[in-house]
Amino acid sequence: MFMHIFGYRLKCLARDREMVFWTLIFPLILATMFHFAFDQLMGRQETFRPIRAAVVGSDAYRQNVAFRQALDALSRPGEGQLIELTVTDDREARRLLEDGAVSGVITVGDPIGLTVSQSGIEQSILKAILDEYAHTYATITGILEEHPTDPAGLLREIGQRRSYTQQISFSSAEPDTILNVFYVLIAMTCLYGGFLGLRNTTDVQADLSPQGARRSVAPTHKLGVVLYDLAAALTISLAEVTVLLAYLVLVLRVNFGNQVWYVLLTCLAGCIAGVSFGAFIGTFARKSEGVKTAILSASSMTMSFLAGLMIVNMKDIIARKAPFLSYINPAALIADAFYSLYVFASHRRFFLNIGLLLLISAAMCTLSFLRLRRDRYASL
Amino acid sequence: MQVFRAYFKVMRASAGAISIYVAIFLGLSVAFSLAEAPQETGDFAQTRTSIAVINRDGEAPLAQGLADYLADTSGIVPYPDNPEKLQDALFFRNVEYIAIIPAGFSTDFLSGRDCAVQKVTVSGSISSRYVDMRIDKYLRTARLRHQYGGDQSHEELAAAIRADLAQETPVTVLPSSATNGSEREFVFYYRYFAYAVLATIMMGVSAIMMAFNKPDLRRRSLCTPIPARSANLQLAVGHTIFALGCWSVLVLFSFVLYGRNLLSSGLVWLYCMNTLAFTVVSASIGFLVGSSVRSNGAQAGAVNVIANGMSFVCGVFVPQSILSKHVLDFGRFLPAYWYVKANDAISGLSRPTASALRPIYGDVLIQLAFAAAIFAVTLLLTKERQAE
Repeated sequence: MFMHIFGYRLKCLARDREMVFWTLIFPLILATMFHFAFDQLMGRQETFRPIRAAVVGSDAYRQNVAFRQALDALSRPGEGQLIELTVTDDREARRLLEDGAVSGVITVGDPIGLTVSQSGIEQSILKAILDEYAHTYATITGILEEHPTDPAGLLREIGQRRSYTQQISFSSAEPDTILNVFYVLIAMTCLYGGFLGLRNTTDVQADLSPQGARRSVAPTHKLGVVLYDLAAALTISLAEVTVLLAYLVLVLRVNFGNQVWYVLLTCLAGCIAGVSFGAFIGTFARKSEGVKTAILSASSMTMSFLAGLMIVNMKDIIARKAPFLSYINPAALIADAFYSLYVFASHRRFFLNIGLLLLISAAMCTLSFLRLRRDRYASL
Repeated sequence: MQVFRAYFKVMRASAGAISIYVAIFLGLSVAFSLAEAPQETGDFAQTRTSIAVINRDGEAPLAQGLADYLADTSGIVPYPDNPEKLQDALFFRNVEYIAIIPAGFSTDFLSGRDCAVQKVTVSGSISSRYVDMRIDKYLRTARLRHQYGGDQSHEELAAAIRADLAQETPVTVLPSSATNGSEREFVFYYRYFAYAVLATIMMGVSAIMMAFNKPDLRRRSLCTPIPARSANLQLAVGHTIFALGCWSVLVLFSFVLYGRNLLSSGLVWLYCMNTLAFTVVSASIGFLVGSSVRSNGAQAGAVNVIANGMSFVCGVFVPQSILSKHVLDFGRFLPAYWYVKANDAISGLSRPTASALRPIYGDVLIQLAFAAAIFAVTLLLTKERQAE
């Protein structure tokens, strides 16, 4: 009996072309668009480029040997180079600034000043460099005034531009924010599996469709029918998500880490959640088919939105501002499972996500079956 | 007039599906403009990188002084000392830099042992260099003050460092560039305008076309005494009024949101011209979709794929400056590319001069040419279908 119901259910669902469009083709198209749109941002190593600055080559500048040496040290090509310096006259410096060829113009006077055309990180770094010079100057004069014991040692110490920071890492994975968009896309596709679950409930309830009426009079156990239908929907949904995953990994080269089985497990749990969500809506919303479809697509879109489909760091905002939401939102749980596989070495958080997903699915399935069983119809 | 009146009856029936795009767009615009920080003009605003500081060295004056100094010069985002939460913060760029002052750091530092502030950053980013500079500066000053400044308590040392670091370099901002074109808030509104107007008009026009093209209904109207020419004309007027209505709602709303800023920019008429051209394009695409699809599902699919697709590939959702060259080369074959190009050019204008305006006119004309081509193709298609 299983093979019979399961097989025909598979055919039914797979031949619904509109359904296949929304649950498979549409996510594939979205993935392609995301890929094109974020192509340049993905996996790109941020690199520091020295900041271009001009200094007015006045007499004051030429006479201030210490300042010249400091700037020379910072513009020496190599690892520690911070600026790329042009020494020029006043008018030319201003022209360079207006054309955007330099970020700022340094004028040596008392005090040393900076001219910029707008606020920004490069301008702030230039200011920080000049600040540093002024600060060091203040330190030296302060110390020499109070304790002029070892001026030579003091100057030697200044010459050693020692660094006091040390890079460490919580994880071996390079943080790439855009990845989350693709994780949520898979989550959205899993939830779109809900359309299959919804179709199942329509086809099994006698008051909603002729098929439902026919199947209700058949001498098969209702639980059996519901479970076999569920299995068919799950098979199709999982196949679609796997196709999407393969497309993302093999064609678009999105990094899902290298724990294939865990990634597939996440897809399976996501599909279970999606299909049972559809079944839940199908049994509890006593409205027309169109309204149910609208409820399903609006709610899965909202969940994907909260998980970060449209605004990249939405998921994190929710996790901090309303943590409860991220524990009950299947889309966020699926995306977070992928994320924790990618970022963390331990699987604690991963299994927390999967566990919650399965718990939510079990609750929705149980509720919708309780609603479906023992349905009696006075007339059909 | 019957056709014209029927037009708006059909429109009312599908008003929900049509207005959803406008409603979402307007809602998001309001949210964004409320979240927008007040504009800075004239004065120099030092960049404050978002960082998290984890001080494991507790109350030691040096560590506390460093943490305070970082708090004064950067935007501190409070986070607990939990690697998982910190990793999330960095991944989603809530902070760009995490500085960890290890336990016993002050003692090690003051006794001259090798020690360092640990950092977790996006490697090589410009903002991480900026914070590095701050930390190094504080600790270099501390080293000098400690080694050569004579005997002093730790509190005195921290105070001396802060006094040294109090100096500020005077910064002048060139007056001519006080308002930076690309940062005006309505620039984003008019970029996303393309998506909202395209989705709405496609949805509306195609819904009407589908209703009037239902085979039975069509056959019935063919045998009415109203001449086909007049019926088609009434439909065309209906489409025009609907499209203009959508356009004016969106334009008026931009006045409500950005009022004075937008009107005083002197660019309003340019924005209006460009958006109007794209409205015509949207109507033509809606016309094409409406005469090719039969079912509601196919219509929703077409609207979603075309509106989203064009917005992604042509630089509506993601600025053209970020898109790769290949994508842009492809986008050139779509009208939204020229809309966004003109929009960016308009937004970058400080003064509308004849030479600066010429390319914008060109972009607008290209959009109109696209619209004409799409209309022509659609008419050809319907003509052929009628012959069947």
